[in-house]
Amino acid sequence: MLRAESVSKRYGKVTALDGASIEIEAGRVTAVIGANGAGKTTLIKCIVGLLKFEGRIAINGVDISRHGKAARRLVGYLPQNPAFHADLSVAETALFYGGLKGVPASRAREMVETAGLEAHADKTVGALSGGMRQRLALGVALLADPPLLILDEPAAGLDISARLELRRLVGEQRQAGKAILLSTHWLEDVPYVADEALVLDHGKTVFQGPATQLATSGAPGSRLYLRLNGHSPDAIPLLQGMTSTGSVDRSGDWVVVTCPAADKARVVEALVDAGIGILDFRVEEAPVDAAVLRLQATHGGEL
Amino acid sequence: MNGVVTIARKELRDAVKSRWLVAFAVTFALVALVLSKVQGDAGDIGDQGFNRTTAGLINLCLLLVPLLALVLGAGAISGERERGTLATLLAQPISSAELLLGKYLGLTVAVWGAIALGFGAAGFLVALFQPLTDVQHYLLFVLLSSALASAMLSIGLLISVLSDTRVKALAGAVLLWFFLVLLYDLGAIGLALTVSSSGRTLVAVVLGNPVESVRILAVMSLEPDLEILGPLGSYLSEQVGRGTSTILLAAGLGAWVVAPLVAAVEVFRRQDA
Repeated sequence: MLRAESVSKRYGKVTALDGASIEIEAGRVTAVIGANGAGKTTLIKCIVGLLKFEGRIAINGVDISRHGKAARRLVGYLPQNPAFHADLSVAETALFYGGLKGVPASRAREMVETAGLEAHADKTVGALSGGMRQRLALGVALLADPPLLILDEPAAGLDISARLELRRLVGEQRQAGKAILLSTHWLEDVPYVADEALVLDHGKTVFQGPATQLATSGAPGSRLYLRLNGHSPDAIPLLQGMTSTGSVDRSGDWVVVTCPAADKARVVEALVDAGIGILDFRVEEAPVDAAVLRLQATHGGEL
Repeated sequence: MNGVVTIARKELRDAVKSRWLVAFAVTFALVALVLSKVQGDAGDIGDQGFNRTTAGLINLCLLLVPLLALVLGAGAISGERERGTLATLLAQPISSAELLLGKYLGLTVAVWGAIALGFGAAGFLVALFQPLTDVQHYLLFVLLSSALASAMLSIGLLISVLSDTRVKALAGAVLLWFFLVLLYDLGAIGLALTVSSSGRTLVAVVLGNPVESVRILAVMSLEPDLEILGPLGSYLSEQVGRGTSTILLAAGLGAWVVAPLVAAVEVFRRQDA
């Protein structure tokens, strides 16, 4: 649905985005993660066609640089700070953007209802709260039922219930077969919300892959606490001999192994093969934000 | 095309809502009433009732219409940019050219409406005091004012896309208005006296300013003898001919409508939102 290849954006001598590539299929969610100034919004604005760029971006095969209007017909875009005409009412805003997207007036009125703004339909946008304005912006993004949804920091400024509501909505849209690109700061939710993740740092891609691997990328990510029925002295050299383990320590009755998340099972397997029984175990997954910090530190960035 | 109409309708709605349209029409009607009354009190009415009022309104119109159109055009894109709504608009399935043309169309209809209302109200009031003669000259001047408004809106839009803030755009528009309406004549006289006073130069100077083109076209429509325009009038009547002069000036005015608009579209298309 979305294919961006080697997208770069320069402002004079400053490179805001350096060769980012991304591909999202229908029914998949990709999260773009990074600190302020990492290039997330720049990438999104290039995809929507708001910025000129080097590289190639196509939405369902339609080149955004050459056929911007046709490509944007396939996109629902929620900007980081939605800005509408403050003097228009909610209903007028829905009709206006419905007109631009070529949807019937009845669909625009329906959107006001589904966004939960029916009671505020006659209020001017300037009189809406931040949360209501965000709901209106999301409604406008979904007006024409586009196959690609681009959400730039959709949870910024939302309270916990609104965040959960948004998470539910992203899930629903994914179920409905939409491709979703989401830039976010709620790193802890990334593995649950997104299928793939792209981490940007100073415009450069520092991680790209399955969101579940994000926590383990860059450094050992899972920590296993094992109680080994008195065989700890034998287990420690065995585990230290495994190339994938980051560290093996003893903490009271427990042996603590740090390793990539994907290698947890191999650790257990090695102990069982050596005839070392496991009485109890506990696993701590590395937090995503720590992984992002590590990735950024590796590339000289900071959060 | 759907996007152009949607944007144009919103511009028109905004113009009506902002009440400048009514303010412009009321100002015009009041000035026309005063002009008509003054001429009536001075016993200066007769067969040329509408002609005299038209002549009186020319100067007012050549001041007000360019200011109104330039300022409105200048605020069109810079205002959206400043409010952050430009990015929201350009993220929709609409091209930058369509957005600009929609804005231009909406503003043009709004300004034409204001001119028609102003002249209509003024004409009605004048008709109460003076005989209904020379209405065709009056209507022609309505047409010329509308054409001038279209050219000035086009220039205003170009200023708007070139400005990063609304204040800069408005300052640019007012400066240009000051130059075109108040300083240009002085510059033209200076040019004629110091560089060349040939008929061709004078025609080029007139074509270089849409306000001047409209002024000359208005005078040509009112005055049978072009000598009133001095050396320019002599050149136009003797060398170019009245009909060709009218076509030349009208074509020049048309170029002032099209060229800045095309330039604005080209500049806007290359800009980041």
